[in-house]
Amino acid sequence: MTRADFLLELLCEEIPANALPGVREQLRSGFEAELEGAGLAGAAVATYSTVRRMTVHVAGLPAAQPDREEEVTGPPVKAAYTADGSPTPAAIGFAKGQGVPVDSLRVVKGPKGEVVAATRLIPGRPVPEVLAEISGRVVRALHFPKSMRWGRGEHTFVRPVHNVLALFGVKRLSERVPVELFGVAASSGTFGHRIVAPDRIELTDADGFTEYARRLREAGVEIDPSERRRIMEEKSLALATEVECQVRPDPELLAELVELVEHPGVLRGTLAERFLQLPEEVLVTTLRHHQKCLVLTREDHVAPYFLAVCDRPDDPDGHVQRGNEWVAGARLTDAAFFFAQDRKATLASRSGALDKVLFHQKLGTFAVKAEMVGRLAAEVAGAAKLKIGEKPVRRACELAKADLVTAMVGEFPELQGIVGGIYARLDGEDEAVWQAVYDQYTPAGLEGALPRGPVGAVLGAADRLDTLAGMFAAGEIPSGSKDPFALRRAALAVVRICAEAPLACDLAAVMRDAFALRSDGTADEARLAALLDFVQERVRYYLVTAASVRPETAEAVLAARWGVVPDDVARARAVEAVRGEEAFAALAVAFKRVRNMVAKTGEGRFDAALLNEAAERELLSAVEKSEKEVQRAVGRGDHAAAMRSLAKLAAPLDRFFTDVLVLCEDENLRAARLALLARVEKVFLRIADVSRLSAQ
Amino acid sequence: MLDFAVAVARPPREVDVDLQELILSLSRFWSEQGCVVQQPYDIEVGAGTMHPETFLRVLGPEPYRVAYVQPSRRPADARFGENPFRFGKHFQMQVILKPSPEDVQQVYLESLAALGIDPKAHDVRFEEDNWESPTLGAWGVGWQVLLDGMEITQFTYFQQAGGIDLKPISAELTYGLERIAMFLQRKDNGFEMRWGGGLDYGKVRHQDEVELSRYAFDVADVAMLRRHFEDWEREAGRCLEQEEPLVIPGLEAALKMSHLFNLMDARGAVAVTERVALIGRVRKIAVRCARAYLEQRERLGFPLGGNGNSKANGKRAAGKTNGRADER
Repeated sequence: MTRADFLLELLCEEIPANALPGVREQLRSGFEAELEGAGLAGAAVATYSTVRRMTVHVAGLPAAQPDREEEVTGPPVKAAYTADGSPTPAAIGFAKGQGVPVDSLRVVKGPKGEVVAATRLIPGRPVPEVLAEISGRVVRALHFPKSMRWGRGEHTFVRPVHNVLALFGVKRLSERVPVELFGVAASSGTFGHRIVAPDRIELTDADGFTEYARRLREAGVEIDPSERRRIMEEKSLALATEVECQVRPDPELLAELVELVEHPGVLRGTLAERFLQLPEEVLVTTLRHHQKCLVLTREDHVAPYFLAVCDRPDDPDGHVQRGNEWVAGARLTDAAFFFAQDRKATLASRSGALDKVLFHQKLGTFAVKAEMVGRLAAEVAGAAKLKIGEKPVRRACELAKADLVTAMVGEFPELQGIVGGIYARLDGEDEAVWQAVYDQYTPAGLEGALPRGPVGAVLGAADRLDTLAGMFAAGEIPSGSKDPFALRRAALAVVRICAEAPLACDLAAVMRDAFALRSDGTADEARLAALLDFVQERVRYYLVTAASVRPETAEAVLAARWGVVPDDVARARAVEAVRGEEAFAALAVAFKRVRNMVAKTGEGRFDAALLNEAAERELLSAVEKSEKEVQRAVGRGDHAAAMRSLAKLAAPLDRFFTDVLVLCEDENLRAARLALLARVEKVFLRIADVSRLSAQ
Repeated sequence: MLDFAVAVARPPREVDVDLQELILSLSRFWSEQGCVVQQPYDIEVGAGTMHPETFLRVLGPEPYRVAYVQPSRRPADARFGENPFRFGKHFQMQVILKPSPEDVQQVYLESLAALGIDPKAHDVRFEEDNWESPTLGAWGVGWQVLLDGMEITQFTYFQQAGGIDLKPISAELTYGLERIAMFLQRKDNGFEMRWGGGLDYGKVRHQDEVELSRYAFDVADVAMLRRHFEDWEREAGRCLEQEEPLVIPGLEAALKMSHLFNLMDARGAVAVTERVALIGRVRKIAVRCARAYLEQRERLGFPLGGNGNSKANGKRAAGKTNGRADER
């Protein structure tokens, strides 16, 4: 079979960088799905883009669409044939309608019984025609973060479209594909880079995608984002090495830079030495966020250089480099101005102005928030039995939000916390205090460093717990993909801090108090329940992803109890470690019987004197032993030993259920036996509800 | 990778242009592109967009092209003339092209060439930057134009104004004149940038900045500002309730409200909880003006033409665009 190629390119005005990865992905999956639907599966779809174009390349297409057979169902068998098996008018009409002879009808099973069916032959259409339709559908179905209209306002797309290239051919791209998109009819050519080579590039009879990519490259355009990235990295490394520096790794920025250009140009600029006196965080943020520059370092400190992308291969008059240097200098001068202005007063003296900064319409200002966080932080530190003293925690909470009213954070909101930390340090605050302020927004998620010390951990947890409690109390509860206040991330950060700092406080208890503080005691119980579920869900997520236990293990552990996260994690790890051991095989089944029985009848009054049978006495002494062992093991943090001690209950339990009729006639005896089982249940639930573990 | 021919060595040519030449060159260029060269609006505004030549003209079907300088007041940005980059009042060159022409980016690049900036020797990039004005019920999609890394123009395709979906779509080009002049003259202090007539910007404007800052931050009588905000709100209502609504006086009242709000805000007199409500009151008037303007133009039979199917053009926005690439 001959193998053909298809090439589609839309040339647009500059497309937002954040839309392009999605465009490539949607074009690929859209074309794959449509090609499969058209009987053209197996062709390879690749997509590319630059800041001005989106390109689809399909390789390995047949020259013509294969013929297809389609089954169409008709009337029920009963209505289609008479008793002697001859076709009724209904069957004849159906066959005629489908264009098949009536004796070719078959009987098939439908959802409502047997029906007749005809097999229709659908002849394959010319592939370019099919591709034209597919292109139209896939491109029009693209979703963007934001769409627009232009000109007469008749079309909606991510940006105005200026040229559509659509060619098809075996070996050479010889045939036009008749598609029209947003008022632009497809042609057989495209245009080069706006500055480097803006002329038209004719591609009829081009040697497939390879020639298209090569001709574009000659015209200043690198169509493949991964190639642009490779070139940018190579150039960056060379430019850094020339001045004996390293490129500060910044994959996130690099990924964006790749989408901002057609040509992967990189240049190095020099900074005046005086800017190196600014705090490094301010320097890096200015260059990185505001100028999208890569930062160079030497011996782990910011060096007086930066790398900027430019959408051209050269800088004939040095304008581009000088311009970028001027702008970086201007931005840093501006930052230096704000820095000097902020330093005229201490950070502490600014907290008074927080009553003018709104945290949330229903939850009041940041002054209110600072107050709430202070109370919660004291509670968390106390509950976690940290020996850090009240003073540093109180001070860190007082200072934490004060940087929101500094000029620097006004200018660089992404530096909140960090700016406060720097100013607190410069004001001579204790190390524990300024570091806590500095680190209050870490970690951002499962990755990234934790606050450096216990004060920072307490502040970070208390701040987020207040946010969570406040938002839930105010009814701002995340649902589905809607989480405008990033509460999932906040909850996960709390869980991580508690697990890893660690903070052994009972989250459930702290959250109840936090919720009460934010709801004036007029708490909506359903919202509190939702909050507890929400945080428990993050604990579960943490156990499965960060602690790497199976979902079932997390379930068993959390069903028993949850909230003291380090304890939750230790129990989960222990259960996960020992649950495969032989002794546990029977345990799940036995414990399930215990739970069912206790749940059904409730606890009875415990009277050991009534328990006289051998199996009863044996279980009783085993439980008493286990209670002591579990307590000791948990006390020294050896949860696996606790689990092994529980495993020793399997045999006595088995004998108990074999030899003893729990639900006996004698009420007192029954109560005593149930109470024994309740004791068994209780000692298990200190670790996990093992009935939720399936047998191995 | 194929390398491009190394550029022929030529002496670097810095463009050296003072502020008033910049204004003259841009005005001439856009005049040649068929724009009405308008004058600044004689009421304090925060941006050239608030000038009726933009805010009202972008509504409805009638084509229009206009260019003008607009002094733009942002009292909260004022810095007592101490910050070399921040001004409480700065100048914008505002251009509206309605409908946005097919080659609008190309024409824009030519306007740079008219300033002596040869795009072939620079890096000109269009980076996403969308625009929204809650006060005007307006938003648009577009870019900031970067020249060698410097933001020199805001380029916006207006999608909605006064809460009304626009059709046709206007392109708005806003040149930040101080920035461009500073950049071209390589001055890192705005007050040292050459204005023209033998004077620099500081000699012409520094004292204004000092006094306007003092007024906005320390002196303005908040009670008076608040009272006038309410006075002008009532006055706007009276203008728009006339049997034939007075569109321009109504809009002027809204512009005054907006500036009074900005002054109160700079003075720190806007409580966080009332901010949204105050902006909403200005928007309410702006939206009424936009509707009244459209009705007025329709009554007049859309004198500037534009194939006026007024029903479709004046339809109120049903909601935000849904982000799909459907053709309309």
